[in-house]
Amino acid sequence: MTTNEVVGLLKKGRAYASRTKYKEAIVYYEKALSLDPNNPEAWYLRAAAFVETGRNAEALNDCARAIALNQNYADAWSKKGHVLYNLERFEDAVFACTRALALNGNDASAWYIKGVCLDELGRNDEAQEAYGKSLELEIILDMEAEKKKVGK
Amino acid sequence: MKTEMPLSKPIRHFIKQTETILDTEISLLRNPEADPNGTLVDIYTYNIEKNIIIFPAHYMGLLKDFIIAKHCVNLLIKGAAVKKSHYLVCSFTGDSVYRGIHQIYIDALKDEAKKEKKLPVQKLIQMLNILYTDFNDDINELPWNPITNASVYYRMPKIRKTQLYYLMKEGKMDMDEMMEYEDVIPRRYFVLNKAMFYARDQYLAKTLPADELMPVVNIPQMKKFNHLEVKEMLTTRWTHTSWYQSKVFGDTMLEIMEKYLQKIDWNAEPSIEYFHDIYQIGVHMTNHFISYMSMKDWFVWESPKHLQEAQEKKAEYEFKALKKIFGDLIEESSADSSGG
Repeated sequence: MTTNEVVGLLKKGRAYASRTKYKEAIVYYEKALSLDPNNPEAWYLRAAAFVETGRNAEALNDCARAIALNQNYADAWSKKGHVLYNLERFEDAVFACTRALALNGNDASAWYIKGVCLDELGRNDEAQEAYGKSLELEIILDMEAEKKKVGK
Repeated sequence: MKTEMPLSKPIRHFIKQTETILDTEISLLRNPEADPNGTLVDIYTYNIEKNIIIFPAHYMGLLKDFIIAKHCVNLLIKGAAVKKSHYLVCSFTGDSVYRGIHQIYIDALKDEAKKEKKLPVQKLIQMLNILYTDFNDDINELPWNPITNASVYYRMPKIRKTQLYYLMKEGKMDMDEMMEYEDVIPRRYFVLNKAMFYARDQYLAKTLPADELMPVVNIPQMKKFNHLEVKEMLTTRWTHTSWYQSKVFGDTMLEIMEKYLQKIDWNAEPSIEYFHDIYQIGVHMTNHFISYMSMKDWFVWESPKHLQEAQEKKAEYEFKALKKIFGDLIEESSADSSGG
């Protein structure tokens, strides 16, 4: 196993995923995992691809593997929140998102999912606060995307 | 609707309601290359099996929700029109392109006569085509914009802050459009284009209500017309600027908009009948705008398919129109490079 080989496989997988070709992406992530099963990023990326293809149970399992390898992996916690939301486990999703946000407060997606889940749980004030944070961050991202476009 | 995307409660409810009312299916698609306004690819316009709402990949939260809400309203209006009568859009034919381009040409000549630095013929031809197309696009979109936005505002209070951010961004982009051509295009068309967007922003500022949308506050060139006295405004100094004229025309367009849109009860229970009424109001308002801008014979109300076919034949229509106006000055190559 070489680190470079794993990095290359993950890069290829991400390229497919960015073009919404998740099945192909999963193939590359699996190759990477067969070479290095202790790579948290590979587990996280496969979880992300599983979510997009509706394989939530497998995604949850992969998030758990990524987090077991790195307790402070913010993106994996955030993805776990997403999966738990899909599984309608709203309390657990709020917990996962809160953990993700403690590690990275600038994760617009985690704020949004937290807001959605709090809304589902009828905790309206907290939901509004989470939505507010999510919107602030999304606006910053949008402004950056606009700038990039102008730059092009 | 089947999606693995997280969606807020009111949006999920609204998508489901839209699907039930229209007895159709909506898919959501995230795309890094998508238009910032999102795109609705719908069964009432295209020969496809289900409706798709496409939005930029970086819209992951409330911005995405707002785009979806907006396009659900658009879909409801189109679907209701199809189910109750016909869904028609402003299309064009060879004759209507000629009438439009010819009118722009006449107006351009009037403006050019006053200019010291004349516009080169190739540029003039290019401008005729671009302006005609721009007005066709705008007349198919602009009258529906305040309808969609007011509808979303009343139906989804939870995304109002998002809507406001979005509208400020959209308003600024629309007011910035054509700025670099201010001295090139005939004054009349610059003014009418700006007036349409001015009226929309004023209407939304009143209806939403959102002071931040006021063009007289946001647009540097218009700032001087805020709180200006009538007497002062009537002096030659002001009447000669295109921004002053945009405000005057825009105020009249706002009156037209209000006249039609006040008939809509934004909080009414959504149904096919309700959205069909809205469709008809939108059509009447569009006709009033067309008539106000003296563009009555520029466009024809036809099916979306007719418009798609017309767009395929656009270069041919433009070439024939230009040939009729300029005669032998127009070669095949100039039509190719007309850029319309």
